[in-house]
Amino acid sequence: MTAHLELSDVSASFNGFKAVNGLSLKVEKGELRCLIGPNGAGKTTALDLICGKTVPSGGSIRFKGIELGRHDDYQIARSGVGRKFQVPSVFRQLTVRENLEVAYCKRNGVLANLLRWAHSADSDGLDKLAEFVGLSDQLNVPAAHLSHGQTQWLEIALLLAQDAELILLDEPTAGMTVQETQKTADICNRLKGKHTIIVVEHDMGFVKAIGDIISVMHQGKLLAEGPVAEIENNPKVKQVYLGSVGISGA
Amino acid sequence: MMSKRTMRQVFVYGAVCLAIFLLPMLINDDFLLNRFARYLVLAMVSMALALSWGYAGILNLGQAMSFGLGSYCMAMALKLRTIPVHTGSEGLPDFMVWNNVEALPWFWKPFYSMPFAIAAGIIGPMIVSAILAWFMFRGRVTGVYVAIITLATLVVVNLVIIDQQWATGGFNGITDLAQLELFGITFDAYSATTYYLIAICLTVCLFLALAVTKSKAGLILQAIRDQEDRVRFFGYDVALFKTMVFCISAGIAGLAGMLYTIVMEFASPTFLGVQLSLSIVIWCAVGGRQSLVGALLGAILVAGMQGALSESEVFLDTWTLVMGALFVLVVLFLPNGIASLGEKLTEKFGGRRATPEPAKRGNSIARSTKLAEGK
Ligand SMILES: Nc1ncnc2c1ncn2[C@@H]1O[C@H](COP(=O)(O)OP(=O)(O)O)[C@@H](O)[C@H]1O
Ligand SMILES: [Mg+2]
Repeated sequence: MTAHLELSDVSASFNGFKAVNGLSLKVEKGELRCLIGPNGAGKTTALDLICGKTVPSGGSIRFKGIELGRHDDYQIARSGVGRKFQVPSVFRQLTVRENLEVAYCKRNGVLANLLRWAHSADSDGLDKLAEFVGLSDQLNVPAAHLSHGQTQWLEIALLLAQDAELILLDEPTAGMTVQETQKTADICNRLKGKHTIIVVEHDMGFVKAIGDIISVMHQGKLLAEGPVAEIENNPKVKQVYLGSVGISGA
Repeated sequence: MMSKRTMRQVFVYGAVCLAIFLLPMLINDDFLLNRFARYLVLAMVSMALALSWGYAGILNLGQAMSFGLGSYCMAMALKLRTIPVHTGSEGLPDFMVWNNVEALPWFWKPFYSMPFAIAAGIIGPMIVSAILAWFMFRGRVTGVYVAIITLATLVVVNLVIIDQQWATGGFNGITDLAQLELFGITFDAYSATTYYLIAICLTVCLFLALAVTKSKAGLILQAIRDQEDRVRFFGYDVALFKTMVFCISAGIAGLAGMLYTIVMEFASPTFLGVQLSLSIVIWCAVGGRQSLVGALLGAILVAGMQGALSESEVFLDTWTLVMGALFVLVVLFLPNGIASLGEKLTEKFGGRRATPEPAKRGNSIARSTKLAEGK
């Protein structure tokens, strides 16, 4: 059987600088994979490559057996790839509810959306989503008025509304309190199995709470891959994290 | 199932349209009525611009192109209707005779049919805009570059029309037109009939545009205005949505152009001139580009003031200066135009929960810089 997502020998170069250099990665359906690595290792770029934000300069990316490299970003999204960006990216002028409605995209066509009212009945589940991430009191508040943590939550809720098969989370807990981080871990665990998820994260506590297998990136390449315990004791990994504090200090 | 906000909007929009329909009862002067009819037409274009600029962030500096194309379609049809009365021996429009044209150009011929002309006046600008939009938005051109490209296209079309005098009447445009007759009704430019025709078209277009903004597509357009890239990652083909709204806006502008020919009784290259096109942007900004009815009232107000000032003896030389100052003041202090005054008032007296203060100021600054960037 082929993996749900398979990257083989993928590269991305910016003016000759290879941010991702021959990366190979296999993620099975329903798996939650953590992607870690020092700053500048190319983790964000790897996610950019998968969701079509950056065009690969070589290699192949296959999702459900289909080559993604030839497709536009919106087509890749339609095939079932959802993305949370490192810098929280929501529609600031729209209210929380409107944000969720935009993300709820069962039908993408222009005509279908022109002939349908916003605030329609089939999006009622969105209120529950807002409740789920603790934003039900803010439903009619413009997203610009949310705090940083709330914005993170909103973007996570957007991904849930989008209901993508493959979810890419870039540092979802940045700027969150311990409790909020815990809640994010809960969400990830609930989604595990139903969605295939790749999480880029620095917080080792968080990674331990959610991760099965960890992939470590360094200088655009895959450095190591394995269960948490194995990775923590891997000498190569220790070395790139400068040995001193171990990977939990990254 | 309408939200409170939508209901309030429908109420305000309905009230404005009602006032427009009642106006002729207060005016006995045909001359004045014609002038108001003219303002209504301009209000229609301004509203069309609000749809693409205010809701989707597409600053179309060439809005007058669609307007002008529409006005020429109507002028061609009405010119052909005068032929038994006006022409020389060849049965040609007068200016063609002066230009030594032998036979009616092929693209004039379909305009013998009024239904064709009306369809062409709306669909023609939509097709031209669709092609332009497709190239711009497929190539992911955004912001200021959209403004530059649309303006440049306007200038090119304008020059072509001026240059091809034998077929377009050149600088003079197309003059000495017949009066429009539809369903046995004659539309005299200086009559309440024409005024009502325009009022009906304006009302229909206004509510059509409102429906677009209230659809899910309208919401997606606003999301595109906010963060175009993010929308793509939800699987929407952003270029297609932008092309759609750009074309609807062009269609409304084309219809307005046709009506303009009817009230002015001629078509001229100034109808697709840079000056008019930039004026539309000013009306829209002053009225409030994020409110359809705001843009509409902005056009009536500013165009009305332009008219009054340019005719008064005191401001004869300085009226453009006064208009410019007004524009600058509005952009500085009311980045969302006069319409935002209305919003602020309803918020204050409508007992709605006040929005948190701190983010607000930053927001309005962000909006005014966005305005400067042409978003
Ligand atoms: N658009 C870009 N242009 C040029 N260099 C880039 C671009 N995006 C990322 N890089 C570079 O690629 C490297 C990897 O970046 P990134 O993928 O963001 O790392 P990480 O997310 O692992 O911290 C960095 O050195 C960064 O400077
Ligand atoms: Mg990163």
